[in-house]
Amino acid sequence: MLRRREPAVAVPGQAVPPVAAMEAGAPIRQTSLWRDAWVRYLRNRGAVACGIVFLMLLLYCILAPVFSPYDPNAVDFKLAHQSISWHHPLGTDKYGRDLFTRTALGGRISIGIGFGATIAILGIGVLYGSISGFVGGKLDNGMMRLLDALYGLPYLPFAIITLAIVGTVTFWTMVVALSIASWFTTARIVRGQIITLKENDYVRAAQSLGARWYRVLGRHVLPNTMGVLVIAVFLELPGVILGEAFLSFIGLGINPPDASWGSMAQDGREAYRLYPMEIIIPSVAIGTLVLCANFIADGLRDALDPRTRET
Amino acid sequence: MPLLEVNDLRTHFFTREGAVRAVDGVSFSLEKGATLSIVGESGCGKSVTALSLMGLIPKPPAEIVGGSIMFNGQELVGLAEHDLEDIRGRQMAMIFQDPMTSLNPTLTIGTQIIETLERHLKLGKAEARKRAVELLEEVRIPNAAARLNDYPHRYSGGMRQRVMIAIALSCRPQLLIADEPTTALDVTVQAQVLDLLDDLRKEHEMAMILITHDMGVVAEAADEVLVMYAGQIVESAGVNELFDKPEHPYTEALLGALPTIDEETSRDSRLVAIPGRPPDLVAPPPTCRFAPRCPYASLGDSCTVEPPELREIRTGHFVRSAHPTSERVRAEETIA
Repeated sequence: MLRRREPAVAVPGQAVPPVAAMEAGAPIRQTSLWRDAWVRYLRNRGAVACGIVFLMLLLYCILAPVFSPYDPNAVDFKLAHQSISWHHPLGTDKYGRDLFTRTALGGRISIGIGFGATIAILGIGVLYGSISGFVGGKLDNGMMRLLDALYGLPYLPFAIITLAIVGTVTFWTMVVALSIASWFTTARIVRGQIITLKENDYVRAAQSLGARWYRVLGRHVLPNTMGVLVIAVFLELPGVILGEAFLSFIGLGINPPDASWGSMAQDGREAYRLYPMEIIIPSVAIGTLVLCANFIADGLRDALDPRTRET
Repeated sequence: MPLLEVNDLRTHFFTREGAVRAVDGVSFSLEKGATLSIVGESGCGKSVTALSLMGLIPKPPAEIVGGSIMFNGQELVGLAEHDLEDIRGRQMAMIFQDPMTSLNPTLTIGTQIIETLERHLKLGKAEARKRAVELLEEVRIPNAAARLNDYPHRYSGGMRQRVMIAIALSCRPQLLIADEPTTALDVTVQAQVLDLLDDLRKEHEMAMILITHDMGVVAEAADEVLVMYAGQIVESAGVNELFDKPEHPYTEALLGALPTIDEETSRDSRLVAIPGRPPDLVAPPPTCRFAPRCPYASLGDSCTVEPPELREIRTGHFVRSAHPTSERVRAEETIA
């Protein structure tokens, strides 16, 4: 049933009490930063497509070994070097192992190391950068000059040396090796952000209300770098995954029978003239992952930091 | 005993060019529940005085090089940061000029109010939330309980300033420092915010330091007025006394620079601006600091040789000038 509404316009001559006037509006629809960002992200077709491919790749890596009828490490030379078939969608390798299953397992390790090292890079970078930027003064100067010196370190040779020193290559040593010399850029970005953010009035307002320094940093400064950090994850990821693939390819990777996409490409290289699929599959997987991560990073940057978008 | 007693406060900024004497020997006192207004043009040291009181001056480059700040019988100059943090927000609070940037955009209004309540009053979550709603209602935010979960971007400038006031007053401080609280707001909203501040001040018997360059705001809200120029107090008096009988040539000029709407001549006459610029505070003139811009400096007096002292020209009315209005008028009469 329709009810007659009161006229919304104030009658001239009758003063509207200010509070009542403010209450008149209907509740405004809630939107948050993240919802806005999500809408902006969806507008970027390339980023959405790559996001879907990325998720499917992730799902494949997680689920394929669970549902696969094949033992990924069972050697059977009778089945070696099979080409693509209904039973083996991606064929088999020189030991007769199902490549569909092994690629998923390799992906788990490649992506796992990728994210692990990226998070380690961000962890170290955020810690170093935020202390440097937030404390400022002489400490900041010292920490940044040290960083300038470290910046000269080439990260792959450094990773190789680290692996050589540690000796055994496991998932975690790989993460350490890949993150140990690649957090410098992140630290700089975070420091720059912190320095801008700590000049904000709300930081001074928090201080004027007696907030302790760790509270000011943790509550009022760091959360505002979230957007940049989310972007940084997907910007660092391709480099780290390529680094892992490279190390595995030159034989410094995960120990067999475990595999990563890099070590699988290395295995495939031995007979690539006869069985090209064995090198193409892991290479395409790496390529797809890196491409997707780049597109996602691009989409996220546009979504979370609309000011930088070129129009 | 007054609530706040500032004695010969000196805050300098150490820069490459030398020490900038932003606050150079400021003394005043403030009783419980009174409102003191500090006026002066940009760069005269109003805000630095306020930040020095709060212990929030940026160190380095700034440093309190001398003087004392007695607050509630406690010396604040040289107090450890940790102890200052306990006083800030609990016993003295501050609101800032620009409400648009004074709230953290990533936290809800509620979180930001509750944060302070938990910090100082050690309230539990539910209790703090209840208090937060009361506080928002107190500053006349409609539909307070629902608006608690909103982010700052959904509040208008005036509402944000009211939220800032609610946060500042959440622990019932004895002293509120308002640093140009209405400068960034519309004129209509300015009046609302000033009224609100005045109501809350009376209700909670809180002392207030109101920093502004708006003489209209001063006339409306203040009990006592300090006029600052180049880091020093040049005149201080009760609000009526100052507006009726300004003594310092600078105060006179400030009041003369206000537009009037009720005078016959206002339509045709131009506003009188003060010529020249404030002095360089790295090396202020050894004379009266206002002498280079003062129309009466040429009267041939001691003020172009040595700086005049702050003296009590009438009861409760202090002035730092060799040519206060009342004496000048008398001198002109004798010449005539």
